[in-house]
Amino acid sequence: MTTQPLSPGAPGAPGAPGTTAEVPAIELSRVARWYGNVVAVNDVSFRLGAGVTGLLGPNGAGKTTLLHMLAGFLAPSAGEVRVLGRSPHRDPSVYRQIGLVPEREAVYPFLTGFEYVRFNARLQGLRDADGAARAAIARVGLEDAMNRPVGTYSKGMRQRVKVAGSLVHDPQVLLLDEPFNGMDPRQRIAMMDLLGHLAAAGRTILFSSHILEEVEQVGTQILVMVAGRLAASGDFRAIRALMTDRPHRITIRSSDDRRLATALMVNPAVFAVELTSAGLAVQTAQLGVFRSLIAGASRSAGVRLLEVVSSDESLESVFDYLVRR
Amino acid sequence: MSGEETVGPWAAIPEIAKVTLRQLLGRRRTLLLVILSLLPVLLAVAFRLAGPGEGGGPTEVERFSRRVFDTISMTILLPLVAILFGTGAFGSEIDDGTIVYLLAKPLPRWIVVLAKALSAVTVAVLLTGVATALAGAIDLFPSGSDGILATEAQVFAMVVGSACYVSVFLALSLFTRRALVIGIGYMLVWEGALSFMLPGIANLSIRQYALGAAKAIYDLPLQEARLSAETALLLAGIAVGAALLIAVWRLTRFELPGGSD
Repeated sequence: MTTQPLSPGAPGAPGAPGTTAEVPAIELSRVARWYGNVVAVNDVSFRLGAGVTGLLGPNGAGKTTLLHMLAGFLAPSAGEVRVLGRSPHRDPSVYRQIGLVPEREAVYPFLTGFEYVRFNARLQGLRDADGAARAAIARVGLEDAMNRPVGTYSKGMRQRVKVAGSLVHDPQVLLLDEPFNGMDPRQRIAMMDLLGHLAAAGRTILFSSHILEEVEQVGTQILVMVAGRLAASGDFRAIRALMTDRPHRITIRSSDDRRLATALMVNPAVFAVELTSAGLAVQTAQLGVFRSLIAGASRSAGVRLLEVVSSDESLESVFDYLVRR
Repeated sequence: MSGEETVGPWAAIPEIAKVTLRQLLGRRRTLLLVILSLLPVLLAVAFRLAGPGEGGGPTEVERFSRRVFDTISMTILLPLVAILFGTGAFGSEIDDGTIVYLLAKPLPRWIVVLAKALSAVTVAVLLTGVATALAGAIDLFPSGSDGILATEAQVFAMVVGSACYVSVFLALSLFTRRALVIGIGYMLVWEGALSFMLPGIANLSIRQYALGAAKAIYDLPLQEARLSAETALLLAGIAVGAALLIAVWRLTRFELPGGSD
């Protein structure tokens, strides 16, 4: 697995990190896409080889636009997109090697699960479409429901039948847009296992999500997109550490905010304290340590805690922090 | 998953056609169109029961051709059915996003357009052609060979008209989501009103292509038909060919939006 953000100044330059003699399965060089005055993707560069990579970002970050460019459905406004060494735009033959699971749920509701997957197999030109469809359905565990119309499926089942349709031709590259939407925990684990097996077999898998926990359970590598830009990329543990160790802002209401501020200021886990109209605003880079000390510190100071609110726990604030870094 | 052995792209045409037919026939509006297509048949029964007109009046072929074929079948049934199926062949898939399952396949785009057009034309001809044939069999066949030829000509007009309307509005549906509204506007304003006031626009009227094409089989007693059979068939061929080429060109450049992301 090689997840290498390209150096913005020298995309694809020989000797750059991640450059190998092999053609990377996915390669973006300074890619941008805009709609009128709205920039959806801005100056994104990376390379991916075999393995599972999570594309993480809040809603509106540009993930779907990026996936649609990789799938050849959108031309980049600037830069270059290459999949298996060639531009996917206006080249239908590339779909022999690409499988795509779109974000939108719609699947032909009048087809049974089997008919839908076989339809995909036949459009891929597979001679044994029935056999390929049965094998793909077995991989997503939908055998029991394969003869039911897709219109009767739950959201999670529709996601699984879409995945079966996308991998029926055994593609080298699999692009999945929010594949875990609507799946229950058991289905998620099964799907994560499937993606892991495909990656182990040498496939390149890129899936998008706006939920950190989904990504960290599947992708060893992640790309973080925020507001159209690639905010971070690499091993998820390192990026997760950045997210966890960032400064946290906590607002506390107590029976005596001023006395509590004095007690907290001497603690090394706290690096800023401010009295505000909403209460006591505390900043810490060690959230876990702070959580364990706040009760004892207030008790020692003789102060009663009324409310403790972490005010920047949203995913957007985490992404925002990564961008500012 | 296998997938080593593959077949040619032609094999995709029946697959896409089957799914398209189920899409088009599975809609509630199709039931309304089936009911509408019964109208000429019911009128033919009424004409038959009423018996022939007074001596010296129009023949049965003239009477039926003007009052039922021209007024109902050509003016309402054919354009409505063909425009609805033409715009629906791609329209619903674009609306609900299932078009992605066709586009993400290693198929030349002309295969997709051809399969869609064949499906929509087939359904349109089934509805309009069968209704016209039935109506003709009921009211015109008793008139002898003239009645049989007139029926054949009317069915042929339905086939030519269906192919033209479907192709043009299928292509239009790849440019705008308002293709159906534009189609209805074309049917009412251009063909319904302007073509009566401005005979010169016959060269740009699908209705005229269909009426003119009928002359290749039988010269229906309709003053409305302004084009010769040769001219009508030539223009109809050009319209179908150009529309399908434009549709292929457009589908090749079709872009999916980025969505909420």
